[in-house]
Amino acid sequence: MSINHNKVRPVYMNLFQIRLPISAISSITHRLAGIYIFFISLPLFLFLLYFTTKSYNDFMFIQEAFKNSIFFSTFVSFSFLVFAYHILTGVRHLLQDLHIGESLSVSRVSSYIVFILWFLLILLLIWMFYL
Amino acid sequence: MVFVDIAPHLDVLSMMGSTLFFAQRLSAVFLLAYVIWLITFFIFNQPFEFSTWVQFTNQQKFLIFTSVVALTIPLHAFIGLWTIGTDYFTQRTLGFINNRLSQYAGFIRGAYTFLFTILGFLIVFFILFIIWS
Repeated sequence: MSINHNKVRPVYMNLFQIRLPISAISSITHRLAGIYIFFISLPLFLFLLYFTTKSYNDFMFIQEAFKNSIFFSTFVSFSFLVFAYHILTGVRHLLQDLHIGESLSVSRVSSYIVFILWFLLILLLIWMFYL
Repeated sequence: MVFVDIAPHLDVLSMMGSTLFFAQRLSAVFLLAYVIWLITFFIFNQPFEFSTWVQFTNQQKFLIFTSVVALTIPLHAFIGLWTIGTDYFTQRTLGFINNRLSQYAGFIRGAYTFLFTILGFLIVFFILFIIWS
């Protein structure tokens, strides 16, 4: 170990040079997903709730838009998947708050489990709506 | 221990952190229960049809549960968004990106807090408006 005694120290830090451990990645993406949900998913869900319950014609319009517009269906699916991701990582964090799986090795494994579950959910969604 | 001696009158403030911590976790569990309830509806009512959906959203249980959720969402979200704001929109963290930017950290955090507070109130209003109208 050596300490940097240089008078001139780097003022700016390149954040992209830091390699985060897998559990830290799952933590920061949980936060990013939370921001996405609050600012984009939630208003979108309210838009969908409003028009799907308004009248039968509006319901059919949304359903047609989902079938015909690849942009709309991808946007909605992505917003739901981000929400699902926030829930999956959130459950993991809740378990850790209850002192379950707090150790370094278990938290690393549980991060991978969350990623795999989310990946399977993406495959399920593609299988249900696009195939 | 010294801290306890010099600021005995700050006991209420020092409890604030744990109260917010538990408020966020408990609201998370409540919202999770709500989401699981909705998912079971969608699983057991395939294909998704207008009549069953409207019947589901017009029942008393849905209206009350969703109204409580409408008030729980800002509770959960404000704590999380406030944590993110005070973690990242600070002079120190913004200074990593740009030195000039760090001078406006207080303003940026204030604008961000203002934005999500306004949006939070709008979301509560629209949820209650949509389900009760």
